[in-house]
Amino acid sequence: MKLFSDAGLPATYVALPFADWRTRSDWPAVALANTDPVEELAAHVDRLRLVVLHFPKFSDGRAYSQARLLRGRLGYRGELRATGGVLQDQVAFMLRCGFDSFESDQAGFGEALARARTVFSVVYQPAEDGRAPVSLLRHERRNAALT
Amino acid sequence: MAKNLSGDLQVASANRLADGVVVWLDDAGEWTTRLERAAISRDRRSGEILLRRAEAEAFAVIDPFLVAVAEDDDGMIEPLSLRERIRASGLTFDAIAADAVRYA
Amino acid sequence: MPDAHFYRYDDYDRTLVGERVEQFRDQVRRRLAGELTEEQFKPLRLHNGLYLQLHAYMLRIAIPYGTLSSRQLRKLADISRKYDRGYGHFTTRQNLQLNWIRLEDAPDALAALAEVDMHALQTSGNCIRNVTADHFAGAAADEIEDPRIWAEIVRQWSTLHPEFTYLPRKFKIAITGSPNDRAAVRVHDIGLRLWRNDEGEVGFEVIVGGGLGRTPMIGKTLRAFLPRNELLAYLEATLRVYNRYGRRDNLYKARIKILVHEVGVERMRADVEAEYAGTRDGLLGLSSETIEAIAHQFAPPDLPSRPAVVGAVEALKLGDRDFALWLKSNVASHRASGYAIVTASLKPAGAPPGDASAVQMEGVADIADTYSQGELRVSHEQNLILPHVAVEDLPAVYAALGRLGFAEANVGKITDIIACPGLDYCALANARSIPVAQRISSHFASLARQHDIGDLKIKISGCINACGHHHVGHIGILGVDRNGVELYQISLGGDVDFGRTALGTIIGPAVTADKVVEAVDAVVATYLDVRNDGERFVDTYRRIGAQPFKERLYETV
Repeated sequence: MKLFSDAGLPATYVALPFADWRTRSDWPAVALANTDPVEELAAHVDRLRLVVLHFPKFSDGRAYSQARLLRGRLGYRGELRATGGVLQDQVAFMLRCGFDSFESDQAGFGEALARARTVFSVVYQPAEDGRAPVSLLRHERRNAALT
Repeated sequence: MAKNLSGDLQVASANRLADGVVVWLDDAGEWTTRLERAAISRDRRSGEILLRRAEAEAFAVIDPFLVAVAEDDDGMIEPLSLRERIRASGLTFDAIAADAVRYA
Repeated sequence: MPDAHFYRYDDYDRTLVGERVEQFRDQVRRRLAGELTEEQFKPLRLHNGLYLQLHAYMLRIAIPYGTLSSRQLRKLADISRKYDRGYGHFTTRQNLQLNWIRLEDAPDALAALAEVDMHALQTSGNCIRNVTADHFAGAAADEIEDPRIWAEIVRQWSTLHPEFTYLPRKFKIAITGSPNDRAAVRVHDIGLRLWRNDEGEVGFEVIVGGGLGRTPMIGKTLRAFLPRNELLAYLEATLRVYNRYGRRDNLYKARIKILVHEVGVERMRADVEAEYAGTRDGLLGLSSETIEAIAHQFAPPDLPSRPAVVGAVEALKLGDRDFALWLKSNVASHRASGYAIVTASLKPAGAPPGDASAVQMEGVADIADTYSQGELRVSHEQNLILPHVAVEDLPAVYAALGRLGFAEANVGKITDIIACPGLDYCALANARSIPVAQRISSHFASLARQHDIGDLKIKISGCINACGHHHVGHIGILGVDRNGVELYQISLGGDVDFGRTALGTIIGPAVTADKVVEAVDAVVATYLDVRNDGERFVDTYRRIGAQPFKERLYETV
């Protein structure tokens, strides 16, 4: 399986399955099933360097919510990796939810990842990628028109 | 009209990828829009072979499957299920025409 | 041509829709080249409104909150002619379906749609679907606030939402701004009802877990009063709970209604509120300025003063019985004096419900330009609405619609049938719907008889997925397949009106296709025999129960 990173070199830690990691939560890397409660990482986000989230199928979207909670709610800043059904046509959504590294065997995935941030030059929602949603841009435009 | 209704007779069908049109696999391994040209399997074993041939030719069609058909004395075949008869012969009512202002 | 009095795309909206078309063009190219499997491609095409049906691909075009300009309707006619067979089918969710699209043409059809600021985004797939609203919005006399403002805000938020594009199952939101709910908010995944509380503030009742399909359920109140500016944060919290905990092990148990049913609405409420505590202070809060900027675009058109009582209309009413009936059934009161809301019936006797040819679409667009500020609506009852017609112009509009075959005085009557496409088109159906609807509507064609029968809604679905809303039909008809034979289950007493929403009860064994008309006839005859003065069919049913209908029906068929 090839590993692609959107943010520098990917971490090389072995990610422990969540059940194992719980017994030694000082370890900096953990792999969650998409039914595992991300909330339990709250006290550890500063120490964690790698969190791996899993897509059993590309069409099972639970890990998108886990990712957003990790980034937005818990403030995790380490590497967030997607594994399993990771395909180029979903990668733009993954980036928006805060993933920054990806395991994928799909041909052309790397090229698609490089393009993924520019497929859509506007976004309607705030997410975890820091992009300004259209509502904010309109707000600024209105203010600029007033001054 | 005598029909073979044993359910053993089958043809392989699919929808064409590029336009969704209903097609059947003929004896030459080509997909045809004409049901009368479809290759017929006459027992379960040859049905399995037919389906495997269809799957091997599935590059330009979507998800081939077997359709149970009946055959009359003249060799004309007709699907057994209403769904497949509608797939083979189209709508069972007249759709409105593009230039119509009243439904006829 | 008059300006549109609803949301107009700006360069951001146009850019996004355009980029989406190009993304899909590339995906289609990769599929045709064999780089994507059908399994990988299917959700991508569904998210762009493209289904595979029995005979061809079908493109489901979104008509957000059912609002359409004449220019847009003309473009739809144009697209149907260029890329399809010159007709389209208006659906129960304010979409237009074209039934004969080629995959190869789909990107071009979508590009053509984008030219008039329309799209087919998220009209299918396990994502947040096209948001629907009251089809009289912005014109109704009983409206508290225009629900389309909120539908547009939700449309933008839900479009390409990165977290909610692979939900357990599809997710449908409907919004009403009137106490008389015309958007069926109790039978949606989320229904939003604007109302005014005792303090005079307007907010939403948030209803969750309604739906039809194989497990019909009436939605439950998740939040009795939600301040308007908190709408998106609250929706995001609700969707997140659903995305995480909705079932994915069984396709038929994956809708939010099953989650609500299994955990109970109290637990669901607690989970949503807990999640909401974390989202409410985020960037999703709506500033009054943002709301105002969108609300401003829905400002009602400046309607010149026109007389409320017109001699010529009164005279025609006396002289032309059909016109008088049409005024009663197809014309509703407008908030502005001197104006009316006209429903163009897409249910002429014997026709497939909701279908319109390209010429008919263009004809209605012309009428809208001349008489209705260039504006149209699509109703979930599969009709077209002219929202701003001067009372003075009613005779002319009646005549013009009559020339298109759309002036049948049958709105809300027994031939105003909702029907899904059924087995003639649909890959999921078990039985045909359209021919059944055609036979019933031909049988009851007499307008005098229809008006004598009064309000009676027949809804027909060709399978358990209930796209024809049969559960909430006063008379519901569900097609089933028993050993290769089409049979039809009759249910009675369903209702979709707010405060009275009810699911129909199956009355007895299913009948064969050739007996459906007789079965409906027997039900109607029973009603006519026993009704009290002015009592609607569904009220008679509630008063006397199923038994009398059942006895007569099974004596007959």
